[in-house]
Amino acid sequence: MSQSHDERRRGFEREALPHLDAVYRVALRLSGDPAQAEDLAQETMLKAFRSWHQYQQGTNARAWLLTILRHTFINAYRQKKNRPASVDLSEIEEFTVFHDVQDTDPEGTFFDQIIDDEVLRAIDSLPDEFRETVVLSDVESLSYAEIAEVTGVPVGTVKSRLYRGRQILQRQLYEYAVEMGYLRRSAT
Amino acid sequence: MNDQPTPVNCQEAADRLYEYLDGELTPEIELAVRAHIAKCAPCFKRFDFEETFLRFLAARIRSQGAPPELKRRILESLFSDSDLPERE
Repeated sequence: MSQSHDERRRGFEREALPHLDAVYRVALRLSGDPAQAEDLAQETMLKAFRSWHQYQQGTNARAWLLTILRHTFINAYRQKKNRPASVDLSEIEEFTVFHDVQDTDPEGTFFDQIIDDEVLRAIDSLPDEFRETVVLSDVESLSYAEIAEVTGVPVGTVKSRLYRGRQILQRQLYEYAVEMGYLRRSAT
Repeated sequence: MNDQPTPVNCQEAADRLYEYLDGELTPEIELAVRAHIAKCAPCFKRFDFEETFLRFLAARIRSQGAPPELKRRILESLFSDSDLPERE
């Protein structure tokens, strides 16, 4: 039984379109470029509309759309822009930022002084697999199971990526805060 | 009756740090971690710091939405797309 075009469009507008903001936000953080994010979001929504008959009514439309977005990004965009891993991952595990600030600012008040643009810049500089995991969790509040579904990895991998991604991010923001003089580097 | 959770030590609590803050633990383990940080000052401070960090992140990056112009363009493309034959 095929739906009429009108029915299909109404269903799509009701269930998928409300997630456009989420699709755009994730597209922006994946691509790091507003114009590319718009193209990516539009392409995602159009693809989703064309395969709307494959969507199971009542299931998680947001996770379904974000999965399409991720595939679109990987196929069409990721190759064009190879972001270098700007962080030495081996250093991360050794000391947490909390270890550095536990004597000087254990409550993390220095975070409040960091401007939004710097936060976004730090997220954008994360290596791909950490960035997408952090964005899906901290920008879109997806559960670990949903992130596993969207990124196609086991929940255990989501956990470790989230841990390392957040720690890298924290380290970048800490270094920025020290550089800006919001905080003095601890002697330990 | 004993409904005390099995105790966890500092390392076990730290291993579940983000799962705890993200609400991803089973109720029993969540209870055990909560009991640990309630009586362990160093762990309490670490958890509190990480919670502050996550709240800070969420507040700074969640606000952005799609530009209205993009919404309009997408709606338009859906309307014109419905004229295209999709089956057969």
